[in-house]
Amino acid sequence: MRATIKGKMAAVAALSAAVLVLSGCGGGSEAAGSGGSATSGEVNLIAYSGVWQDQYTAAVIEPFQAKYPDIKINYASKRSSAEMLSALQGQKNNPATDVAIMDNSVSTTGNKQGLFEKVDEESVPNLANVPEKFRDKEAYGPVAMLDAVGLVYDTATFPEAPDSWKVLWDPAYAGKINVNAPPSLLGLSLTAITSKMEGEDYTQGIDSAVTRLKEMAPGVQTFAPNPDEYQNVITGQTVLGLGQNARGQFYSDQSNKKMGVTFPKEGTVYQINTINLVKDAPHSEAAKTFVDYALSAEAQTAFAKALFYAPSVTNAELPADVKDRVVPTDGSLNIVPLDVEFLSSARDKWTDTWKRQIITN
Amino acid sequence: MTVLEAPAAPERPSAQDEGQLERATERRNRRTYLALLLPGLLGLLVSFVFPLAYMVRMSFNQGAPDGVIVETFTLDTYIQPLTDPYYWRVTLDTFQMGVTVGILCVIVSYPVALFLARSTSKWRGLLVAIAIAPLLTSAVVRTYGWMVILGTNGLINSSLGGLGLIDTPLKLTNNMTGVTIGLVEIFMPYAILAMISGFGRLSPQLEEAAGSLGASKFKVFTRVTLPLCLPGLLTAFLLVFVLSISTFITPRLLGGGSVQVLATEIYDQTTGLLNWPFAAALSVILLVLFGLIIAVYQRLTKKIGG
Amino acid sequence: MTEPKLSIVDLTKRYAADLDPAVDRLNMEVEEGHLVALLGPSGCGKTTTLRMVAGLMDPTAGSIVVDGKEITHTPVNKRGMGMVFQSYALFPHMNVEQNVAFGLEMRQVTKAEQKARVAAALDMVQLGHLGKRQTKELSGGQQQRIALARALVVEPTLLLLDEPLSNLDAKLRETMRTEIRAIQQRTRATTLFVTHDQDEALDMADRIAVMNGGLIEQFGSPTEVYERPRTHFVANFIGQANFLAARVGAETGRANLAGESHYKVEVDGLGQFGAIGSTGLSGSSHELVIRPHRLNVSLHPGAAQAPLAGTIERVSYTGDALAVAVRIGDQQLHAQMLTSSGDLPRIGDAAYLSWAADDAYLLPAAAQPVRLAA
Repeated sequence: MRATIKGKMAAVAALSAAVLVLSGCGGGSEAAGSGGSATSGEVNLIAYSGVWQDQYTAAVIEPFQAKYPDIKINYASKRSSAEMLSALQGQKNNPATDVAIMDNSVSTTGNKQGLFEKVDEESVPNLANVPEKFRDKEAYGPVAMLDAVGLVYDTATFPEAPDSWKVLWDPAYAGKINVNAPPSLLGLSLTAITSKMEGEDYTQGIDSAVTRLKEMAPGVQTFAPNPDEYQNVITGQTVLGLGQNARGQFYSDQSNKKMGVTFPKEGTVYQINTINLVKDAPHSEAAKTFVDYALSAEAQTAFAKALFYAPSVTNAELPADVKDRVVPTDGSLNIVPLDVEFLSSARDKWTDTWKRQIITN
Repeated sequence: MTVLEAPAAPERPSAQDEGQLERATERRNRRTYLALLLPGLLGLLVSFVFPLAYMVRMSFNQGAPDGVIVETFTLDTYIQPLTDPYYWRVTLDTFQMGVTVGILCVIVSYPVALFLARSTSKWRGLLVAIAIAPLLTSAVVRTYGWMVILGTNGLINSSLGGLGLIDTPLKLTNNMTGVTIGLVEIFMPYAILAMISGFGRLSPQLEEAAGSLGASKFKVFTRVTLPLCLPGLLTAFLLVFVLSISTFITPRLLGGGSVQVLATEIYDQTTGLLNWPFAAALSVILLVLFGLIIAVYQRLTKKIGG
Repeated sequence: MTEPKLSIVDLTKRYAADLDPAVDRLNMEVEEGHLVALLGPSGCGKTTTLRMVAGLMDPTAGSIVVDGKEITHTPVNKRGMGMVFQSYALFPHMNVEQNVAFGLEMRQVTKAEQKARVAAALDMVQLGHLGKRQTKELSGGQQQRIALARALVVEPTLLLLDEPLSNLDAKLRETMRTEIRAIQQRTRATTLFVTHDQDEALDMADRIAVMNGGLIEQFGSPTEVYERPRTHFVANFIGQANFLAARVGAETGRANLAGESHYKVEVDGLGQFGAIGSTGLSGSSHELVIRPHRLNVSLHPGAAQAPLAGTIERVSYTGDALAVAVRIGDQQLHAQMLTSSGDLPRIGDAAYLSWAADDAYLLPAAAQPVRLAA
């Protein structure tokens, strides 16, 4: 009797230990095998969260699945491209992701780190519609959509959109400004824009920009707006802020034009998303099908209508009211070039500079 | 003459046998305890010891830009923050925030905890439940609640403005003030629970005895009630301090990027800059800070005879 | 008679309107220097009474007068009493000296005087050498004495003891009983002592207030409450008693100067006997109380005059004494024998009982044990 109980106890102990061990290292083992074909299986997609995910799902993923009912898209959302990169680095030896849509500054890093695969017209025919300037020089993932940094403003305070970034320094709005500090791309972009406004070459140094930004800092309500930079303006916590044009346009509509977004005359910085095939992806055939669809005129137009990102393909026809609101890609906009190679080396430094010199408590 | 030999020892073996039987049973029981402990220990190993060891190992690696981790063994990740005044300031701010939040939280929780600990009402159970009910909502939700209350157009500023008491809104959020207010409220239930369990030596008879010896209500409080509550207050302070300096959500959300503490710094390094080795080193530093505080706490409790 | 030290007048405590009062219109006077025991079973209101006197609880009605001054609503810290709690309530964060000095400190006695008085108080309880000890290092008996010293050092108007001995083991309890009594007599502190232990009360008290259901059933000296219980409850609660329902016949004469008479009484099944009781009981039914050790038991007839013959039903040997239960008809009587008496009785043996008329006491109250009307 005693012995039996003891035996059972040992069995239970061993079993629970086994379960723990299994659950502890079972993480990535499911990836292997199952490959699938070009028209069936799964695609594990990693991309932005929030409203981006909602709109992309409605405008691109759902129509795709209607077209290819045998392919299932699993959307893993991340709050930033850096988080996506971090996730992909973690799975490097055993990839679980097939496709990543992320900021080009980050995808360039991924390309260099050998996380991604090259893309060709043979497997992705729609690549033919992507103009040369939106393709990667080494044939890695092409641009999927474009946007740019804008100035977000409260329409009650500004019946006319402010035409200069200098409004951020206007004492009249002190305490009512939100600026996303680096490593956010918004803050990095503002650093470059300010530097350029000061007549400085930010690739050499940003001292003048830092001096100017220090003057602005005391008037900044928050360097990490929550829930996000658009809601802060919509709820009246602030009246001015950095933002992206695409989301800005979207929230402008959502808020009944309580908020607007504009490109000031001193220029702005593109925010470009690339679509990338993960190297050794578990479902690479279906993934290529999806990338091809994502570059189709149909998908590009639908997403532009949904979230005001500029298409990266030449054959996407946008209605006039949408065309006016997406970022121009024809050279008509004053662009402050922020080179991805440069950014990758400057990101840490600029972030540090902001923390130590600009942001004051 | 015959010499009577003493009876041989094994003549009465029963006592010895029994002893052996007992020892054998005990040993068997010990094995059973071990078997029962094993799953928990393994769980602890997998969920706590292993990640901790991994983190410590990670902290000796070198972080290159763009999330590249160079496997090596270097102390650079420690030398860098320890020689950089910025990280000293961040550490000091973290410490200061923990102390401020701890003290304020203890002050505002004490009356509630004392009332609950002394209550003999049949509603006591319900009252305790109400006091700790905020734990049912996540700290994120409560932090957002505070953002609404403390914002430029929030409840406080609009009330004060409406009453004509202020012209320009007070800056209650996106700074240390907001973080402190939020953390104090968020950790109150923990403080209250820690206090109630730490007020063991407090008994109404001691207060009555002090009263009967001529102590006024005030004297009873300062000479008897408060000293007897000290262990509970200290435990609550320590708990809130540790929770405060390790929390990231509230400083992040209510700090508006202006509040730089170790936890937000670790978050930025991990998710923003992907410098895991550096983040790991900062985590180890934070852990050491915890250790120091707990050592001081134990000294103190021994001193006040907890 | 001099003015009493403490007068309690119609003191009442009701915890809730729909409950019987815990203390019901209680009246009591305590003489200076007396030790009065409030004795009764748990829930009888004795502790409630003590707490109201101490000022730890507000009475619902009535008044408390100490030294001619009404203190019913005086706050506890202004009453100048010394109290010893059941748990001793020594301050765990202070050492022995600090505990004892606490009351003096509250009275703003100078440091030097504090020191002298604390030392004297500790010497009084024979613990002068333990002044620097932490209270948790003390034994129960030592804590007890420290609590006593702490209460007495302030020279209290009244010393209040709430079941001070109940947490001690039996042996120590007896020692402490003597010691507390000795200290109380030495200091002449008027003392109110709550206990549920009749031996304690009988041993220590000048007066005992036997309480039951919020009422004092009897207030008198230990011999009075033992020898002349006023009610069935008192007779039953204090010591052991045989109760026999008796019809009281003619008075046969004056028994003593206290105004008691001898009677002829008749008990069903046992016959007629002599008994003692207050005057004017003739013609009604009363309970007869006979203490077991006042019954003479003999195993042989003829040792006493007109004994009652019965059978031994139960024998209980406790070393010093031998308790027996004797069956006579449908009555069972408890008696005690000395163990030295040669042959020990066995169950089933014949036994012969007798008692002196002065040891058969007629309860003054009506025969049926009823609660006293308030």
